[in-house]
Amino acid sequence: MKNNQIKPNKIRENASPWQGGIAKSITFIVTKDCQLACKYCYLVGKNEKERMKWPVAKAAIDYILSHEEMFPEASVTWDFIGGEPFLEIDLIDQICDYLKTEMFRLNHHWFNSYRFSFSTNGINYHTDKVQAFIKKNITHLSIGITIDGTRAKHDLNRIWKGDAQPERGSYDDVVRNIPLWLEQFPNAGTKVTISSADIPYICESVLHLYSLGIHEVNINCVFEDVWQEGDDKRFEDQLMQLADAIIDGGYYANYACSFFSEYIGKPLDPVNENQNWCGAGKMLSIDAAGNFYPCTRFAAYSLREKRPIIIGNVRDGIDKNKLRPFLTLDRMTQSPDKCKTCEVASGCAWCQGENYDAAATPTIYQRATAICLMHKARVRANNYYWNKLYRKLELEGSREDFEKNKPQVKPIDC
Amino acid sequence: MLQYLVILLDDTSASFCHYHVTKSTPRLMPLDTLKRGIRFGMIENLMIQFIYPNHALPQEYLEVIDTIDHSDIKPLAGDNADADIIVTDNWESDVSKLRDAVVVLRTCWAQFREHYSQLNNWLAVAKRLNVVVTDVERLNDDDREQYKAILETLSKEVEKLYVEGKSPQFNLLTDRMVLTEMNNCNAGDTTITLAPDGKFYICPAFYYDGENQSVGDLDNGLDIKNRQLYSLDHAPICRKCDAWQCRRCVWLNRKTTLEVNTPGHEQCVAAHLERNASRDLMLSLRSRGTFLPDKEEIKELTYLDPFEIATQWN
Amino acid sequence: MAKKRIGQVTLAERDEIQALFERRNGLNELAKIVTADNTELYERLVTDLGSTGTKFQNWWDTMAQQYKWESADGGNWEINFDTCEIFLVTP
Repeated sequence: MKNNQIKPNKIRENASPWQGGIAKSITFIVTKDCQLACKYCYLVGKNEKERMKWPVAKAAIDYILSHEEMFPEASVTWDFIGGEPFLEIDLIDQICDYLKTEMFRLNHHWFNSYRFSFSTNGINYHTDKVQAFIKKNITHLSIGITIDGTRAKHDLNRIWKGDAQPERGSYDDVVRNIPLWLEQFPNAGTKVTISSADIPYICESVLHLYSLGIHEVNINCVFEDVWQEGDDKRFEDQLMQLADAIIDGGYYANYACSFFSEYIGKPLDPVNENQNWCGAGKMLSIDAAGNFYPCTRFAAYSLREKRPIIIGNVRDGIDKNKLRPFLTLDRMTQSPDKCKTCEVASGCAWCQGENYDAAATPTIYQRATAICLMHKARVRANNYYWNKLYRKLELEGSREDFEKNKPQVKPIDC
Repeated sequence: MLQYLVILLDDTSASFCHYHVTKSTPRLMPLDTLKRGIRFGMIENLMIQFIYPNHALPQEYLEVIDTIDHSDIKPLAGDNADADIIVTDNWESDVSKLRDAVVVLRTCWAQFREHYSQLNNWLAVAKRLNVVVTDVERLNDDDREQYKAILETLSKEVEKLYVEGKSPQFNLLTDRMVLTEMNNCNAGDTTITLAPDGKFYICPAFYYDGENQSVGDLDNGLDIKNRQLYSLDHAPICRKCDAWQCRRCVWLNRKTTLEVNTPGHEQCVAAHLERNASRDLMLSLRSRGTFLPDKEEIKELTYLDPFEIATQWN
Repeated sequence: MAKKRIGQVTLAERDEIQALFERRNGLNELAKIVTADNTELYERLVTDLGSTGTKFQNWWDTMAQQYKWESADGGNWEINFDTCEIFLVTP
C-alpha cells in the first residue's frame, strides 16, 4: 500500500486561496517595464529604467528574514510583479534560490510554508529560462496568466507597446502558451479586468476562457472612475446573458466565475462586519530603489495624483508608524454614509490604493465609490443567477450534490 | 462643530504647541484681514484666541482686537500684560512673573530631562502649567523609562501641593484625574486657525509647515476636505483610548503616520505614561483621604499603546 | 481509477502532515541547487531529508492504525488538505 500519494494540486491550487488570510504577501517589483501597453493598466509610470538589481533584492531578503519577529505569519507568498515579471527571469531565479537557501539556513519558519507567485502576461511563458525556472520550483509555484477573453476583447486593451499603427493585439502571443500553462497548472485560474469598453464582450469572453480549458475565471471591474452613463445596465445585461449561458450550458458544475457568488449583495453589520476589505499594510512591496510600500499600488508608478506612501527601505527597515493607519482601518470609518447603510453592501470591494489616489486629501480613509452602480448591477444579475440555478437543481433533485461539490473561486479583487 | 478661532497676529507669533515657528521675519496680519477675521468669528459665533508675537502691536491693532470678546496668548518674552495664557520655551524664565498665570512651557525632551526638577518652582506659583514636549515623537524605549521616572518624581511634588491644601493644575498629571471624556486639541474639528496670509489652516502648525495647506480663506470661507477625519469618532485608535488628557495632535499624527486621525506609537506611549502616573497619583491621594469622590478610578492597563490591542477591535 | 472516501483526520493532524509535506517539497527543491561543496548546508539538507521522510511515513502509519483505514493492493491513500478527508485511490 502506497500511502504517501498526496496530490500536489490539492495543495498548490486548491479551492480556497493558499493559506488565505494567514500568509504574508511580499512583493518584489522587479521591473517597471512590460512588452504591453494595456489601456486599462493602472501603472501610469511604467518605464524601462527601473529594474531591480540583485544587491537591492538581497538586502530586502536579508532584512525580512533577519526580522522574523516582525513577520509572524505562518506562511509567506513571495510575489513577483512588474511590469512583466518574467522579463527579469534571471533575477527572479537568483532571488528564489537565495530565498530557499536562506530560509533553510536560518531555520526560518517560512521554509515549511512558502509559495512563489506570479501574474504574467504569458508572452514569455514558453521560453527556456522561464520553463527551467518552473521545473525547478514546480511544487511552490502559483502562476496566473492574464487573458481577457476572446481575441476581440483581449486585443481591445492588451496591445503591444509602441506607436505602430494599427495597434497590435497580444492575443495570439498569449493564447499559444495556455495549453502548456494548463498542463503544468491544471487548476490555474485567470484574472480578467473589466473597463467601460469591455462590457459588450463579457459573456462571450468568459465562455471563451472556459473553452480554452480555464476552469476558474476571476473577473472584476476596475475601481477607477471610468464608467459611462448606462454602463451599469449594459453590465447587468451581459451578466444575465452569462448567467443563462452558464446554467443552460451546464458549466456551473465544473467551472467558476467570480462574478457569481452567494455571499454578495447583503447588508453588512456595522459592528461585526466592519473589517477592511483590502490587505494593504498587511502586505509588503519592494521596488528597485529598495523602498518598502504597504502594497504595490502605493508606489509612484501606480499613482496618478498622489505621492507614494513609502513605509521604509532596505537600509533603515520598516517605519511601523506608517503602517498604523493601514492596520487600524475599518470599513465604517472610511465609508461614506451611502455605503454604511447600503442594503447590498457585501461583496462591494475597494482598493486602498485607488481610494488614496482618488481622495480629496492625501488619506487612505476616504473610500472611492466609482464602482457603486456596477456593484448593484452585479448584485441584480447575481440574484438572478442563483435563483435560476437553484430552481433548476431542485427540479433535477441535484441541489444537495451541487452544494457539496460546487467549484469555488479565489476571492481576488486587485 | 467649530467653536474656536485662533488668529495668528504675526508670522512670528509665539508657538504654544509642538510646532516650531519657521518664519523669522515679523509680518503683521494686515489690519483689514484682522477685521475680517474678527467679523468671521462673530458671524460663526466662534470664541477667538489671538496669538501674539514678541514685538508690540500698533495701537490700531489693539483697538480692533478689543472689539470682540477674546483670549490672548502671549509670549513671556514680550509685553504679556493681561495675557490669558503666557507661553515660553525658556527654562531660565523668571518664575515670579508667572504668579497665578496660565503658563505653557515648550521644551524639547533633552531640556526637559535636564531641567524637570525646576518645575517645582513653576507649579508653586502658576495657576496652571502646561508642559509641551515638542519632540515627543522621538522618545525611544530608553527615554520612555526615564519619562516614567520623571513623572513619578513630579507626582510626589504635586502630591505635596495637594497636601498643603493647594489645587495645582498640571497637564501631565492632574488633567486626567478630573476628566470624564477625551479632551484634546480638536484642531480641524472645533478649532480653526486664521493666518496672516488671510487663509484658514487646521492649526498654526500647518501654516508653518511650508507647503500650502490652507483649508479656505476669508473670501471663500472654510473648505475642510475630509473634515470627519478630525473628529474623534473617525480616529480608530483614539476613540477606544482613555488617555483623555492626550493632546491628540493631528499635525504630529500626520507627521508620524501620514494620517491626521492616527497617532504615532510615541505619542500614544507618552500619553499613557502620563495617564498611568495620574492613576498612581490619584490612588496615592485617595489613600490619604477623600479625593475627587465623584470621579471614577483610572483603570490599570496592560499596554502603553492601544494599537497593541487594535487587532481585537475588528 | 476509483476514489473512495475512507476517513477523516483532525485539523491538528492535517496541519502536521501538511507541514511535513511542505517541508519535503521544500527540501527536494533545495536539493536541486545545494551542491556537495557547500558542506554545511549539504549535510544538513541530507539529514533533514531523511528525518522528514521518516516523520512523513510515521504519520501515515500511525493514522492508518489509529483510524483503521481501508487499504487495497496497488492502491494509495490521499488527503484533501481543505477538508481533511482521506481517500483510497485504486487503479
